[in-house]
Amino acid sequence: MAATNLYTDFIGKRGRIFRMAFGMGVLSVLTVGFYRFWMKTRLRRYYWSSIRPGGQPLEYVGDPLEKLLGFFIAVVILAFYIGVVNLILMFASFSLFEGNTAAYFVSFIGVIPLWFYARYRARRYVLARTRWRGIRFGVDPAAWGYAWRAMVYWALTIASGTLLWPLMSYRLEKYRIDRTWYGDRAFKQGGNARMLIKGMIPLWAVIAMGAAAGVAAFFTEDIESALGLGLLSVPLLGIAWGWYAVRSFRVLTATKTAGAITFRSGARAPRVIGIYVLGYGLAAILTAIAGALVSFLYLALMFAGNDMSFSLDDLDNLSAPGIALQIIGFAIYFLVFVVWATLRHAFVTLPIWRHYAETLEIIGSESLHDIRQRDRDEHREAEGFAEALDLGAAI
Amino acid sequence: MIWATSEPVTVFCDLADGRSAALARVSVRVDATAGTLVVTGPNGEALNWPLSSLRTVPDQANDAQLVLTTTDRALARLTVSDPGLIQTIRARASRLKEKPPVRGRARVFGWAGAAVASVFLIVFVLVPVMADQLARVLPPKGEEALGTATLEQIQSALSEEFVPLDFCTAPRGMAAMDRMLDTIGGNDLDLPYPITVSVLDHSMVNAFALPGGQVVFFRGMLDTAENPDEIAAVLAHEIGHVAARDPTRIALRSAGSLGVLGLLFGDFAGGAVVLFLVEQMIQADYSREAEAAADAYGITLLQDADVDPGALGDLFQKLLDEFGDATGIAAHFMSHPALGDRIENARAAGAGLARTRQVISDDDWTALRAICD
Repeated sequence: MAATNLYTDFIGKRGRIFRMAFGMGVLSVLTVGFYRFWMKTRLRRYYWSSIRPGGQPLEYVGDPLEKLLGFFIAVVILAFYIGVVNLILMFASFSLFEGNTAAYFVSFIGVIPLWFYARYRARRYVLARTRWRGIRFGVDPAAWGYAWRAMVYWALTIASGTLLWPLMSYRLEKYRIDRTWYGDRAFKQGGNARMLIKGMIPLWAVIAMGAAAGVAAFFTEDIESALGLGLLSVPLLGIAWGWYAVRSFRVLTATKTAGAITFRSGARAPRVIGIYVLGYGLAAILTAIAGALVSFLYLALMFAGNDMSFSLDDLDNLSAPGIALQIIGFAIYFLVFVVWATLRHAFVTLPIWRHYAETLEIIGSESLHDIRQRDRDEHREAEGFAEALDLGAAI
Repeated sequence: MIWATSEPVTVFCDLADGRSAALARVSVRVDATAGTLVVTGPNGEALNWPLSSLRTVPDQANDAQLVLTTTDRALARLTVSDPGLIQTIRARASRLKEKPPVRGRARVFGWAGAAVASVFLIVFVLVPVMADQLARVLPPKGEEALGTATLEQIQSALSEEFVPLDFCTAPRGMAAMDRMLDTIGGNDLDLPYPITVSVLDHSMVNAFALPGGQVVFFRGMLDTAENPDEIAAVLAHEIGHVAARDPTRIALRSAGSLGVLGLLFGDFAGGAVVLFLVEQMIQADYSREAEAAADAYGITLLQDADVDPGALGDLFQKLLDEFGDATGIAAHFMSHPALGDRIENARAAGAGLARTRQVISDDDWTALRAICD
């Protein structure tokens, strides 16, 4: 009999993910973006197989061609919406309000339900293509129901000045989880919204501090100290937000069930916040160094191409002679983006996944024996809408 | 070779049968003579998988393990950890790395065609047709606001620094430009808004019109012209576009097509650049008829003011000599076929005039050329 508690190990290697992401990133650029569907598939296979609850790897079985198909379907539908609707909005906005702010505003509002719809569908697709111990995960189709609920809860959250944020987090998570399956076993989100309140306290404290500073500045007209407090509260807001996100993940994980199976997460907020801060910092510094280095080489190449010796005065008159040098210039521009995305994989995504995986525990695994396979979810347009709307997230 | 020397090795592996989440501890050996992998379950039941049906699951993080599946049962997963058995399987199973046959390729091509067709239809038919109709009914105030917004975008897009591109505003130059506009009758037109002329401090040899009566020159155009008549000819031509509301059409068209192209190219490695380039190509696209109409309008303005319309032909000729017909730094003028015809038209219109005068004085011309200093 297997141990009833399954611990999760994570065996992804930074060097391997770096090589994969860099090579395939270059390929994506060379194919004007079309290789990204293959890149995504391969990266997911690697990440998924790195996560091993009870020593058994997750498996990602998504197909690049179905992603491409989904993208084309989304383009056919969204091209009409974005082209025609935006044109009419722009016209109406300039006719009635003599400016484009109204058009941007309405266009933005109009995309929000699509955004939630796409997010739900993308999650459904990814889980439908995820297996563990040979058994498929699955999500019920309910994307529009999710979209309008998300709109309502967001409206409530904004109207209440973030006081109802825990309610939104909880209800939306419950909507998603109660429609999620592992084989023929349904997940359930237990608990209630009140258990997330404690995690919001730091965030509310920062917001209250910022508001108090604003009010004080209004009455004393001391703009400088208000500005100082404002600048201080931005990173604090980020940290408090991270705190809430990790803590609510932990609480919500502990109240999820799949039949007799329960879960426990030991994810730690300081660790997650630290990975984000250090990881993005390091990625930014290394990208800047790489960018400066190739730019310098390119400048040298241009001076050589123009038969000039290097001088700062000539920098303004420098132009790229010949198509070859112009292409190299373009290549360097794109290379910087590829380097950034690659470093983000190596220093942010991978460590974050490692932390969340290694702190996850599955309790009551003997109940796994009763779980049977579920049918394949064809899900024809895959994550096409999310792809077309640029909701690609990390991978 | 391991498998040839001794009795076939039997090792234990984990089997997920693809039907239940329960893992079976199975014993596995390679039967070299039958060419099968023999998988024996805990109760003695045996599965015989032909070696040629075995496939590996790709891109696995754990290099020390081999995750196998079989085309006989695509959902089954056999995890092999024993190095000897892995080596044997790798040596004997010849089609391990074969991919499953591609399904639905025709459907992908079908939808690709549909996507390209719908984008083409929207960008090149639907949006232009709608833009033409809407441009007719856009109120003048709205047109002016659209022009201002577009100009701001151009100013920041062309800027190489963090601040938007500057206007040239030397007072004597401005006065000279105003006299030129007045001479060719640009202040007495029956338009819902006045013509406003401005100069942007950029070396590009170009000029363009914007919605709401704005005509914008680049400094490079002033530097290239040899006499003020050439500038007056360009100005008259651009006023022709303003009168026909051509820029309004283009601006509305780009509002519709920009988002669609963004959708298509996505944000792969800073796709904004590709977007900008493609958009530029669409921008320069006044129809041949619109150009001819603007030429005709401009020529009439110049004739009425006794200024030689041949100057437009001279400037075209200069651009033609300098850049050739196809390559276009002055893309706005150069992007249209039959430049030769237009040169001849302009010169023919000039030849009929009995007397002509220079549009502004030499002093004004000097001041205009120094407008950016």
